[in-house]
Amino acid sequence: MRVELNKIRKIYGEKIALDVPAWSLDDGEVLGLVGSNGAGKTTFLRILLDLLQPDEGSVRIDGRELALDTAWRGRTGSFLDRSFLIEYLTIPEYLEFVGATLGLTKREMSDRLGEFESFLPLSRVDQNRLLRDLSTGNAKKVGILAALFVHPEFVVLDEPFANLDPPSQIRLKDILVSMAAEPGRSMIISSHDLGHVTDVCGRITLLESGRIQRDIKRSESTLADLKDYFAGEDVSSAT
Amino acid sequence: MSLLSSQRTFPLLARNQFRVSLRQMQFKQGWFMRIVIAVMMVYSAFILLTLGFFFDRFSIQLWPNTTPVDVVNRSLLAGFVSLFFIRFLFQKTPRMKITPYLHLPLQRRDLILFFQSASLMSIHNFYPLLFFIPFWMRYVAAEGPLSGHLMWISAVCLLIVASHFANLLLRSTLRHRAGLFYIWLSLFITLAFIDETAGIGLQQRISEFLFGSILSGDFTSLALLASFMGFVVVASTVSLFRSVKGMGEASAPEQSLVRSFDVPEEWGVLGQLIRMELLLMWRNRRPRHYLFVSLLFSTMYLIFMLSTGGSISAAAFAALLGLFASGGFVLNYGQLMFGWDSTHYPAMVTRNVPFHEMVRAKLIVLQLSCLLLFLASLPLFIWFRPDLVPLHFAFLFYNAGVTTILILELATRNSQRIDIARSGGFFNYEGFSAKHWLWFIPTALPPVLFMQVLSGSPRVALVSLAGLGLVSILFSRGWTRYFARGLHHRKHSMLEGFSSRES
Repeated sequence: MRVELNKIRKIYGEKIALDVPAWSLDDGEVLGLVGSNGAGKTTFLRILLDLLQPDEGSVRIDGRELALDTAWRGRTGSFLDRSFLIEYLTIPEYLEFVGATLGLTKREMSDRLGEFESFLPLSRVDQNRLLRDLSTGNAKKVGILAALFVHPEFVVLDEPFANLDPPSQIRLKDILVSMAAEPGRSMIISSHDLGHVTDVCGRITLLESGRIQRDIKRSESTLADLKDYFAGEDVSSAT
Repeated sequence: MSLLSSQRTFPLLARNQFRVSLRQMQFKQGWFMRIVIAVMMVYSAFILLTLGFFFDRFSIQLWPNTTPVDVVNRSLLAGFVSLFFIRFLFQKTPRMKITPYLHLPLQRRDLILFFQSASLMSIHNFYPLLFFIPFWMRYVAAEGPLSGHLMWISAVCLLIVASHFANLLLRSTLRHRAGLFYIWLSLFITLAFIDETAGIGLQQRISEFLFGSILSGDFTSLALLASFMGFVVVASTVSLFRSVKGMGEASAPEQSLVRSFDVPEEWGVLGQLIRMELLLMWRNRRPRHYLFVSLLFSTMYLIFMLSTGGSISAAAFAALLGLFASGGFVLNYGQLMFGWDSTHYPAMVTRNVPFHEMVRAKLIVLQLSCLLLFLASLPLFIWFRPDLVPLHFAFLFYNAGVTTILILELATRNSQRIDIARSGGFFNYEGFSAKHWLWFIPTALPPVLFMQVLSGSPRVALVSLAGLGLVSILFSRGWTRYFARGLHHRKHSMLEGFSSRES
């Protein structure tokens, strides 16, 4: 999937939340979105998922205007926050619903979920627990699993490593690396964890104050460069 | 850290609450709604004042042989029960207002005392006085000794305050024991029904005796009322104390709510959406109470309406009866059909869930509710008023076909967030604004007018209404497409509204 942002602007009062003249993500590209708090990462992702209407500009997926076309929804797996969960459902009910939206049979769902057994062992979780009764970390695992198990062409994840225990972080990173290697899959992962992002993503976009400051291909020095950049950042500017 | 003294706490809380009230007044309603509400408030104030000052002109026509004071005295208890019922639907508890202050160095006792007292600043406490004060000045003052007059108006004030705190107590108790409510309400309605239909008039006699003796200067009756008020004030305060004490403690998941059911795989996403609608109703406190209250309206309330014999002769009244008997759920619950999804709306609109399937699932649930309520209330119609069974049939089609559509029209325009699982008051109308109450008027008006205009030939009216409903049901696919277009168009404004929390 090719994603394009064209002259996007989102303004709250007098504050520019996002100002992106031109940006694109090619088919098969895996991008890490980094930036300080309030840099505009979540606004960027919400506009990308058509959850937020930009004041100006347009988003296109495979050349088609996002707001006018809904076909992208069937090819996209996303998880930004708990509002992506339906919290009065149990884990199996929620996953069944997600599978049904893509026409998957129970058998197909079971097979695909089996691929993620190391990340979230469904056979060992309480099947009768409602999502709202799960801890933040476990709820996040369910959300990420729901975004990934449908084998989407386009993956959008916001802070996927936050609140996860270290083993889950490692397993998730492995899963994302292996999914990224599959042809035709594009991914955007927003994270404050520079190490994980540079491990998984081949391209990094750095946002500050709603504007893209850097858009670079990953190299051996990327992690060190990013660390240097953020070490010199004035944290007060972001708030 | 030392706690702030009461002398400093109360002005601080008062200042903050004033700011909150001001902000709510500024942002909660649009100008049009503000004007409509203001007009309605002025109108009802005018009605109450007029009734208070000129009650004899009305009472002489209905009860020519009874003095205005006697008429009011014997109706006072029933009046306060009605006031209590209205409060129960509208009044909010102070519990949720206390939550944001709990982590601050303020004494819980001060918080509770402040918010309990502040809760008295409610329209429900002032509006009744618009009738009682002029009535007292004009009619009560002319009867009995001076001490009796003063005791009478004090008794009215005591009852208003008692009704206020009794409501808070009931809501607070019901948070933990909702089942009790249905038992008590059923018992109360049954007793009132027996009292009314058997011609005993016990309630009227008690009311007349109580207020008559207060007016004649009997201090014992006033002391009885004062004791009742004291009891509910203390009990509701203690209950609030307990409730606040338990805040923040993790509660065990309600395992009974996890019961589920499967839908055939062939039904696809529509089957899943219908299942989710039903699970949402069952597993979340607020939608569940709307469901039960709708059932109560369509059964217990109907018993009253149907058993009052000749009073349902007016065509307009019959239309309202038909609307609520099978459409009670649609009218209550349906208006928030999309608001119930507010906390997880992003989960719906980022997935491959077509809007028309979302609307179809909701429409099917609403239409099925009409059929279920129709079946639930049919025995009551057959038992009490078999002559109204055709009306009940006609309104089944009208409600399923037309009322559902009118209500969905409003539901697709609702962008107020509702935290469905938040344990607020028992019957919390969060997400239910003045707009929703006012929408009852255009919803109820067409069948009422229709029945009124064709009151000479009721069969024609009923066949036409049923026909209209049937045609609309047949056009369900068209309606679904229409609402889906609206949802697509309003998607961002709904998402924005659903993501903003109430202050």
